[in-house]
Amino acid sequence: MHARAMDDYAAVIAMLNHTWFGAELSPETQERLARLGEIQDFEADEVILHEGDAAKEMGILISGRLALRTLVPERGPVTILSVEPGDIFGWSAVLADTQAQSTVVATESSQALVIEGIQLRAALKEDHALAASLYPRVLKAVARRLRATRLQLLDLFAR
Amino acid sequence: MITSPALSQAAAARQWFLAREDLGALVEAIRGTGRRVIGPTVREGAIVYDEIQTAADLPAGWRDVQSAGSYRLERASDERAFGYTVGPTSWKRFTFPPNLPIAKAHKATFGFEQPAPSVPPVAFLGVRACEIAALAIQDRVFLGGQFTDDDFRARRSAAFIVAVQCTTSSSTCFCTSMATGPEVRGGYDILLTEIDGGFVVQAGSPGGAAIVAKLPTRRPSHAEAGAAVDNVESVRTQMGEPLPMAGIGDRLKLQLDNLRWAQVAERCVECGNCTMSCPTCFCTSVIEQSDMDGKSSTTERQWDSCFDVAFAKVAGGDFRARPRDRYRQWLTHKFSTWWDQFGSSGCVGCGRCITWCPVRIDVREELAAIAPPIAPVEHPMAVEPVAASPGTYSIARLASVRPETEDTTTLSLTDLDPAFLEGRPGQFVMIALPAFPAVPISISRFRANAIDLTIRAVGQTSTALVNLHPGAKVGLRGPLGTFWPIQEAYGRHAVVVAGGVGLSPLHGLVDALVANHDRFESVSLFYGSRTPEDQLFRDDLAAWTASKAIDVVVTVDRAGPEWKGRVGVVTNLFDMISWDCTKVTAFVVGPERMMQASVQGLISKGVPTDRIHVSMERHMECGIGLCGHCQMAGRFVCEDGPVFRLNDLGDMFNREGI
Amino acid sequence: MATSGRTARPRVAVAKFASCDGCQLTILDLEDQLLEIVSRFDIVEFPEATSRRSPGPYDIVFVEGSISAPEHIDQIKELRKQARVLVTIGACATAGGIQALRNWADHDAYRAAIYAHPEWIESLATATPVSEHVKVDAELRGCPIDPGQLLELLTAVLVGRRPQIRDEAVCRECKRKGIVCLVVAGGQACMGPVTTSGCNALCPTYDRGCFGCFGPRAGANAKSWSAELLKSGRPPEEVWGLFAGFTGYAEPFRSVITELGKSKG
Ligand SMILES: Cc1cc2nc3c(=O)[nH]c(=O)nc-3n(C[C@H](O)[C@H](O)[C@H](O)COP(=O)(O)OP(=O)(O)OC[C@H]3O[C@@H](n4cnc5c(N)ncnc54)[C@H](O)[C@@H]3O)c2cc1C
Ligand code: SF4
Ligand code: SF4
Ligand code: SF4
Ligand code: SF4
Ligand code: SF4
Ligand code: FES
Repeated sequence: MHARAMDDYAAVIAMLNHTWFGAELSPETQERLARLGEIQDFEADEVILHEGDAAKEMGILISGRLALRTLVPERGPVTILSVEPGDIFGWSAVLADTQAQSTVVATESSQALVIEGIQLRAALKEDHALAASLYPRVLKAVARRLRATRLQLLDLFAR
Repeated sequence: MITSPALSQAAAARQWFLAREDLGALVEAIRGTGRRVIGPTVREGAIVYDEIQTAADLPAGWRDVQSAGSYRLERASDERAFGYTVGPTSWKRFTFPPNLPIAKAHKATFGFEQPAPSVPPVAFLGVRACEIAALAIQDRVFLGGQFTDDDFRARRSAAFIVAVQCTTSSSTCFCTSMATGPEVRGGYDILLTEIDGGFVVQAGSPGGAAIVAKLPTRRPSHAEAGAAVDNVESVRTQMGEPLPMAGIGDRLKLQLDNLRWAQVAERCVECGNCTMSCPTCFCTSVIEQSDMDGKSSTTERQWDSCFDVAFAKVAGGDFRARPRDRYRQWLTHKFSTWWDQFGSSGCVGCGRCITWCPVRIDVREELAAIAPPIAPVEHPMAVEPVAASPGTYSIARLASVRPETEDTTTLSLTDLDPAFLEGRPGQFVMIALPAFPAVPISISRFRANAIDLTIRAVGQTSTALVNLHPGAKVGLRGPLGTFWPIQEAYGRHAVVVAGGVGLSPLHGLVDALVANHDRFESVSLFYGSRTPEDQLFRDDLAAWTASKAIDVVVTVDRAGPEWKGRVGVVTNLFDMISWDCTKVTAFVVGPERMMQASVQGLISKGVPTDRIHVSMERHMECGIGLCGHCQMAGRFVCEDGPVFRLNDLGDMFNREGI
Repeated sequence: MATSGRTARPRVAVAKFASCDGCQLTILDLEDQLLEIVSRFDIVEFPEATSRRSPGPYDIVFVEGSISAPEHIDQIKELRKQARVLVTIGACATAGGIQALRNWADHDAYRAAIYAHPEWIESLATATPVSEHVKVDAELRGCPIDPGQLLELLTAVLVGRRPQIRDEAVCRECKRKGIVCLVVAGGQACMGPVTTSGCNALCPTYDRGCFGCFGPRAGANAKSWSAELLKSGRPPEEVWGLFAGFTGYAEPFRSVITELGKSKG
């Protein structure tokens, strides 16, 4: 991982505007997120988060691709979902004291806006406008993932 | 349709009287023209249709007493030859035999012999009004569509019809409700009406008139002619009020979820006796029989029934898995979807399915309970003219074999009948090997002198096909079915959504979209499969991507760490669509569940339902609209599909058990 | 079901457990085809036709008879190991057969009635179909089996495809043959609606109701059929006998029999 200090918030906001998650946020929230987080670069195959670790950060993928992997007995690591630009990862950091549900690995060199969970939670508690704008997006992202998981469980290709 | 040459109205109206003791002269006169006579005779406690040598074979003085699940013969006090109603046999036994060898395949010469029917002339004696209506219905089934059944045509044309007016009815008869009787209105060569002492005779064709001329007849008296009319009229009275059948087709369509289907299915033992006895049911299957020496095999066509548990099975599923689905297919086909397919009812009201049901199920009671009358709706009577030829096999040579995945292989076929090269993406072929039942396979690619078929080994024929070596020969019929309406996407965003092996019927479409990409606003392919190993056409996917003429997005449901691409269900990909979805034309194929999820996803993004095209899979035996296996509500997937516009399917698209 | 090689004839063995030999005799009855069969298959174990014995493995093992004695269990497991394709033949092997009747009888009393020295006979408490003990690749039903189906199985093995053995009601064959239904026109009892086809409606052809010797077809609505038989005035004992006859141990006949037994008290 290579972190870059970004004082050019406008550039971060422009990046956010290129993602479905970021583009739907209000300008104030966009700016608040840009200030809260930092842009991080990941190399291909870099492990960002280990399954079972404390979930400390939430990220919004700007470019590249991440894989969510889980260990399946006798089959080793299996990718269950890829994170595409605009998708978020580590969303459980929105809640305190949680563990990462899967290992997050960069499958190619990628860039993400990463926000510390503690800071994010503090900001959400005190800034109601931020909460009102961010929670629905997080919920939407989680709902999409749930829907996808349900379809996966149904095994679309079983027939 | 088979109709006899016309007779002038005056000649047709002319009547004669034939005394009962002279009935033998009629049988002799017909046999004298070289025809066998098939007619009613008593056997095994019933009046069946079988060969008649003399008038003594006829059931003179016998009456049948019928009710649901029961048939008994009784002696009557008179000597009427036709004083009974319809029995267990129907004429389809002679126009559409229960077992019919249709082809012989030779391994050494690789020949498929499809024998030309040769049928000696025959006469049907004692055909009732409802039975004439049933023959006309089977005419439309076998001769009225795009493809026709030559064997049926030969047998039907060979038959001389001696009709008999009903002068009594059984409790199971309901021809007045179906508007097919009791009086015979046409479709005969000779018509008999039985009265005391003999018959009033009319000719309906020049051939009939020629026979009548040979009989010892006289002109009937006024009283005799009047008695003939009264006797038929008395049957109408005997049968009572007709059932309220108006709009029954539409009424049934509104009742597909009625609880009664499950109730009647609890009683029904699925013996199929109703469909086998019914004079209009036409479903068949083929079975292969190989000779011990392994050198040749024969294909036999057999009457089948939609009550069969395997009737609607395809690899991995059964479209009518529950008994209630199968009972519903039978009843809705007879009284509802038959209209959509053939422009008439599939029932003539003969009552055989009621009498011969061993658990006494009465279709009239079921109809009344499931679809009670509503305001009447008129149905147009539209009969398409006879066209085209039935499918015959041509031989093709296997040029190359390319494994795609562990269980799926692409075969390239050459030395083809040119018709195959002119096929269109979305169409399919019936492919056969000697000794194996033919199976439907989509054309995955059109090449300069070849077509590709991409086949997943799921069972016997598909496994035998993928194990062939280059140089092998196969039998092909086709190309069959509807194709992708590519022009409908001109000027729009063309979106192809494929799941698993569903990419195969879409491959030719993608080729065409790529070749004509500047005609479209944009072209994209969303392809999902279970794992990376399940992807078909990996080289083509790469080539399409490289061409820049199409946006190819591939995803898998799950993958190992070596997979660097997308993971997630195919519907996730729709989130990438940023265009105005009302301008999207989508083409979707995949396993049933994947298609349902994809179609829902597209609709929720705003794609209009008349801009979504899907290809449906059903069990197919013939591929040309004759065997009945591929029915989906009012449609034959083989002829009306496999490619359908979504809104044309209505709510049949993802309804269970159709 | 490929054969072991293009040139080698498939090795066929026939094994027998508790049964009457009727099914093996069906094989011998195929007089016209017997020579052809022997030239195409290497028949290595056939207690009825030859005393030649040779060890496995075999391409096809035909198993006749039910598993009715403790030693049978080990024997059938060993046979399974030796067989590439294991085919059970006849009602005994596929459904337990007539011996399965004892599954409902008081075992000791049943045994005493048959044998003079019951204490000498080590028998299982039940006669069970082969498929309860080992995996079965194909079944030929019937008591005895149908020669046509046997031929179809053999030719299919030679061609390398699945035998075309349909699972439809006997009624369907009856109707194709044009037999007048014995139930509807004669008030006879007949198991045709719930029994699987294959015999070409043998019994109805000879004016006798089907005894169900081919066993229940998939999804047979035995419940409705037994209710109909009772409703038409037949005593429960008779209906019990119809379902218990040859294949009563096979579901769903078994449930009907148990149910009827209960209602008898
Ligand atoms: C319009 C259409 C296009 C198709 N295109 C392709 C294709 O491009 N590639 C491909 O691999 N498959 C395709 N199929 C499916 C293919 O026809 C079946 O998988 C094949 O018939 C199975 O035959 P089998 O002898 O190998 O299997 P079997 O051993 O006979 O049976 C395996 C399973 O297939 C079902 N089945 C048997 N016969 C048929 C039949 N005639 N129609 C449908 N299901 C049947 C059986 O009920 C059973 O569940 C298509 C089907 C249709 C209707
Ligand atoms: S559905 Fe029944 S009544 Fe109607 S034609 Fe068929 S057998 Fe006759
Ligand atoms: S599908 Fe229709 S024609 Fe075919 S057997 Fe069933 S009811 Fe008869
Ligand atoms: S005859 Fe009666 S029991 Fe048999 S399939 Fe038809 S409705 Fe069901
Ligand atoms: S006689 Fe038996 S097998 Fe034949 S149709 Fe009647 S019930 Fe079915
Ligand atoms: S009719 Fe029934 S009892 Fe007779 S041989 Fe066939 S299955 Fe067996
Ligand atoms: S009607 Fe035979 S396959 Fe469609």
